[in-house]
Order: sequence, then structure tokens, then C-alpha cells
Amino acid sequence: MNSYSENTPAECLTLESKLSEISRVVPLWIERLASLHAISDRTRYAMDLCLEEVLSNIVRHGYACESSRAIIIRYVSQRDGFTLVVEDEAPPFNPLITEDPPIPRSLENASVGGQGIHLVKQFADAIEYEPMPSGNRLIIKFISPETSRAVV
Amino acid sequence: MQISTEELEGGITRVVLDGRLDIMGAQQIDLKMNVIAGAKKAVLVDMQKVSFIGSMGLRTLVTPAQAIKGRGGKIVLFGPNEMVEKVLKSSAIDTLIPIHHEFQSAVAALQ
Repeated sequence: MNSYSENTPAECLTLESKLSEISRVVPLWIERLASLHAISDRTRYAMDLCLEEVLSNIVRHGYACESSRAIIIRYVSQRDGFTLVVEDEAPPFNPLITEDPPIPRSLENASVGGQGIHLVKQFADAIEYEPMPSGNRLIIKFISPETSRAVV
Repeated sequence: MQISTEELEGGITRVVLDGRLDIMGAQQIDLKMNVIAGAKKAVLVDMQKVSFIGSMGLRTLVTPAQAIKGRGGKIVLFGPNEMVEKVLKSSAIDTLIPIHHEFQSAVAALQ
């Protein structure tokens, strides 16, 4: 058994693959986790942002907006912080190999897309991708500020 | 997500956003933002009460900004909180739409 399946049910969220569900359910789940685990406001924002981007990508691209598919999100506490593990049953896709969007040179030429994964890379402390037998797993790591200060 | 507008002196429109500019928040105000962008030439987007912005929210700012600039107008962002500003800077939006933290400088940039 791997460490990502050892959570209590309270720290696991199963989400229906609809964009409206992301906004409706995820912020409240994060709020509860932040309260339970004394997560800082900055880290809480980063969790919120990373999940919105990753989950909306799964809904729009992985599941091609097909609703009623499942996405499972787990919170895994670790010695130096925690990880959010996101699993889907979409066709294999590693979002980490996508290129960052070009830096826009002018407002007129700016693309309004492609920022999602770029933002996840900026706000998470580490990200790993694992292909699954029937889907994808993304592991998003956050190091707690107290731990990173102690390391420094 | 709430949106309201106020006409200031000098033909400036202050657009006050209040709430989460997440997927649903963006959908709630996109149409109103586009209507404003089609009608106004000097727009101050007051972001003091925006608690969250994601990539969908960035579109809600950039698309109207492109329309305003395309019509020869100006747009500035005013007062984003620290984390919202970090998202704007991480995506280089701050190089396209100026961010101001002083109200007077935001107004001056539109004149």
C-alpha cells in the first residue's frame, strides 16, 4: 500500500467533474483543512490556486467537459509540510511537460490562455506526475513555512 | 462575485470587484466587464476586495483590457492584495495592465 491511500475519509474529497463543482466545493474543503492543520493564509491561497488550475484542466481537457466523472483529491500530511494528491481516470497526460506560455510583449498580443499549469509551478513547492493504470496522478507538495525556516 | 461601477471626475469609471475571481466568479462578471470595456475609455479596476484570482480570473481582466486599449482607452488595476498581486506578476499581467496601490496615482495614470 502506498502512502497516498492511507488517509482518513475526512481528508479525501471526491469531486464530480464539473467546473461549477470546483468553485462550490473545493474552497470550503481547503478552508476546513487550513483550520484543522493550522495552514498559513499564503499556503492556503497556494493550495486554492493549484487545485483550481489542476482540477479545471482535468474537467476541460482530461474529461473533455464530460460531467459525472470522478476526481479524487487527498490531503497527505508529512513531516515537512503536506501534499495534495489529485487522481483522475482521464487519458494519460503529464501536464508538467507542457511549455510555459510565452511572456506577453504587449496587451494586444497577449494570450489569455495557458497560464494554469505555469501558475501551479510558481505556487507549489514541488510537483510530480505519475501515470496510473487507468488515469493520472498529480502530487503537489507544499512545505510549511516553519519547516523551511528551520532548514535555512 | 459582485461588480459595481462608479463614475469619477475626468471621465474615469471605477469598477469595484468584490469576492473570489475564481471559475464561477469570472463567469458571473465576464459579461458586465465586456459591456464596460465596450463603452468606457478610462477604467480603474478596484481590486481591494478581491480575495482570490486564478487563471480564469486573469482572462476576465485581460480580455476587456485588450478591448479598451484597442479603442484607444486606458485601464489600471488598483489595490490587489499580496497574493492576488503575486498571481498577476507570475503571469506577467502587471507588465500589460499597470498595478497601482495609491488611488491618486491610479487616477493620474488614466488622465
